[in-house]
Amino acid sequence: MKMRNTRFFVAIVALIAVSLLVVGCGGKGGNTSGKTTLTIGIGAPLTQGVVAIGQGIKRGTELAVDQMNKRDDVKKLGITFKTTEGDDQGDPKTGVTAANTFASDRSLIGVVGHYNSGVTIPASKIYNDNRIVMVSPGATSPSVTAQGYDVVFRTCATDDLQGPYAADRALKLGYKTVIVVDDSTAYGEGLAKAFEEEFAAKGGKVLWHTKTQATDTDFNALVTKAKAKNPAMVYYAGLYNAGALLSKQMKNAGLNVPVIGGDGLYDAEYLNLAGEQAEGDLTTCVGLPASMLPAADQFEKDYKAKFPGEEIGGFDAYAYDAAMAIMEAAVKTAQKDGADKLTSPQGREDLIKATAAISFDGVTGPISFDSKGDTKNKVVTLYKVVEGKWVPQAEDK
Amino acid sequence: MRLSSRNRAAVTFVRDILFMDTIIQQLVNGVTLGGMYALIALGYTLVYGILLMINFAHSEMFMSGAYFGLFTMLFFTDEGMIGKVTSALPWMSWLTPAREFFLGSTFGLILLFVIVFGVAAVLTGLLGMLIERVAYRPLRNAPRLAPLISAIGVSIFLQNAVLLWVDSKAIPFPSIFPVKTFAYGINSLKIFIVVASFVLLIFLDTFVSKTKIGKAMRATSQDRDAAGLMGIDINSVIALTFFIGPALGAVAGIFHGMYYGAVIFNMGFFPGIKSFTAAVLGGIGNLRGAMLGGFVLGIIESLGAGFISTGYKDVIAFVILIVVLIFKPGGLLGESVVEKV
Repeated sequence: MKMRNTRFFVAIVALIAVSLLVVGCGGKGGNTSGKTTLTIGIGAPLTQGVVAIGQGIKRGTELAVDQMNKRDDVKKLGITFKTTEGDDQGDPKTGVTAANTFASDRSLIGVVGHYNSGVTIPASKIYNDNRIVMVSPGATSPSVTAQGYDVVFRTCATDDLQGPYAADRALKLGYKTVIVVDDSTAYGEGLAKAFEEEFAAKGGKVLWHTKTQATDTDFNALVTKAKAKNPAMVYYAGLYNAGALLSKQMKNAGLNVPVIGGDGLYDAEYLNLAGEQAEGDLTTCVGLPASMLPAADQFEKDYKAKFPGEEIGGFDAYAYDAAMAIMEAAVKTAQKDGADKLTSPQGREDLIKATAAISFDGVTGPISFDSKGDTKNKVVTLYKVVEGKWVPQAEDK
Repeated sequence: MRLSSRNRAAVTFVRDILFMDTIIQQLVNGVTLGGMYALIALGYTLVYGILLMINFAHSEMFMSGAYFGLFTMLFFTDEGMIGKVTSALPWMSWLTPAREFFLGSTFGLILLFVIVFGVAAVLTGLLGMLIERVAYRPLRNAPRLAPLISAIGVSIFLQNAVLLWVDSKAIPFPSIFPVKTFAYGINSLKIFIVVASFVLLIFLDTFVSKTKIGKAMRATSQDRDAAGLMGIDINSVIALTFFIGPALGAVAGIFHGMYYGAVIFNMGFFPGIKSFTAAVLGGIGNLRGAMLGGFVLGIIESLGAGFISTGYKDVIAFVILIVVLIFKPGGLLGESVVEKV
């Protein structure tokens, strides 16, 4: 018995020692010797969900932070930016946990994220409560900036632009009938609605609108029913994991019409998963393709130098600009208030105001935000799968 | 007037044909899906029959089987992988001619699939036995909740192991199987899945009801202690059960990969839950019940998705489960057959 007690005591002491150690480590890194470390959170699906996009967002942010730290005005202010990862796994609950972890970090001033609109909406409430600036590179649902939070911004265009644009282009390409499939998420439902309304208003015919789950893998029953309705195309409002399987199963079942979707499909993974069956599929994506960006060449060069062997994804440049917007605003605030005041309550308020007023030339074009926090640079591009690659499609002459 | 009525008749006729056509196609979808559910459900029902335990890690056996199958297939057919292997290990250079042989002729293709299924089934079966030895056997005499929690732990462990050590992204399954489409949306892959499922089900049924080892399994399921006293090696019977169930699950996993074209670490979750439902629907512990339950569930799901709503297909399947359990608490075949396994 005594032996047991001693062992128990030792275990408790060891536990306390370890926890103190951990806390001790966490406590460091504050402002010592006139140096200020400011943290940018990366909130994205990094291990689960649309990982390819999430990792791209991470790389874009890291590149921006790297370059910012080399700038003279940043060095003069004694600021060092660093990043911290918050894996939201594309899941609202995990996203809120990640947001709370961000909020507990005193040195964290802003978050680049999140990607999934369904995650961004609940997470943005936490950021608003804790006065942390959030700039999303890819949450395209209109609801994200409609909540009235002054900390919420985004560098991408929205679904109420993307959906109608897809409808318009599809009709011009001669597709008059469509079946609409959404994945029952905030993103999918909003996009499907925006598409459907415009398509019907411009004279197209929506034969059927049906819902699926984002985790579905079996679309055979849906495809069989869709085939009997004989559509000219299928609009899939969802993400590439499920969208690629839908495309593949459609074509295997002999429904040889293109899938058209939104930015959630725009990733190399879609081509990888759908294989040859993806040929001819269409998608819209917010912004210009990486190769057509105003500062594309330089961005591509820097990107390839920092991440050799990685391809630039659809949102990497938007994440880069989102991080730049936060850091530019931080530099402006630091010049006014002093770098060490940035993490104080007043400094946070000033940073939010500075972000709202930001205006600079990013790699995706001029970056500035309207009163809701949406980007003023609203561009949508249509892509088509040609020989296994996403190829931007110019507007019809 | 006459013309219009004739027109109307023609329209109705065409619509009926279309409708019949869709029903047959949805039935084909359902039977294919059902074959996969039945194979997985057998794993649940076998273990339950013998240990009265629900093996929640079985969905991960299905997933592991798909990965084993995928990697075996890539090993023999993927040029990139073969290139890497042969440059690292020169004595493996026979892989290049082997690839040509496998992909070059019908016989080669058949042999390739036999190898892929065989390797995956054996590896997954061994994994199942290992899990039984490590996670369940020490708890065999513990309260019944303990192995259940242990099973959930194993399931989470395996999912995360694949997530962290293999890939968090979906990996496309090479579409090597020659797919020929016939009428009513029937294609060669669907036929293959259904026929192979039936063959395995009949084989297992015969094995359990006709062979001596099958007899030992039935005896163990009726009374484990008494069977032990009669000289049956209970540990090996249980180990065998944990080999067969996961091996069948692995076959279903490869079917799933081939049919839907991708393999991902969390692919086991929904098929696992559905197949568990199928096992309960048919009467858990009853082999033929699991087979029947699998097909019934697959068909209901496809017809529900096709004629009621795709968004509600899971709801429909589970409502039917509840209704069946209210009127037949033992499941469809649960009462008529007394003996478990």
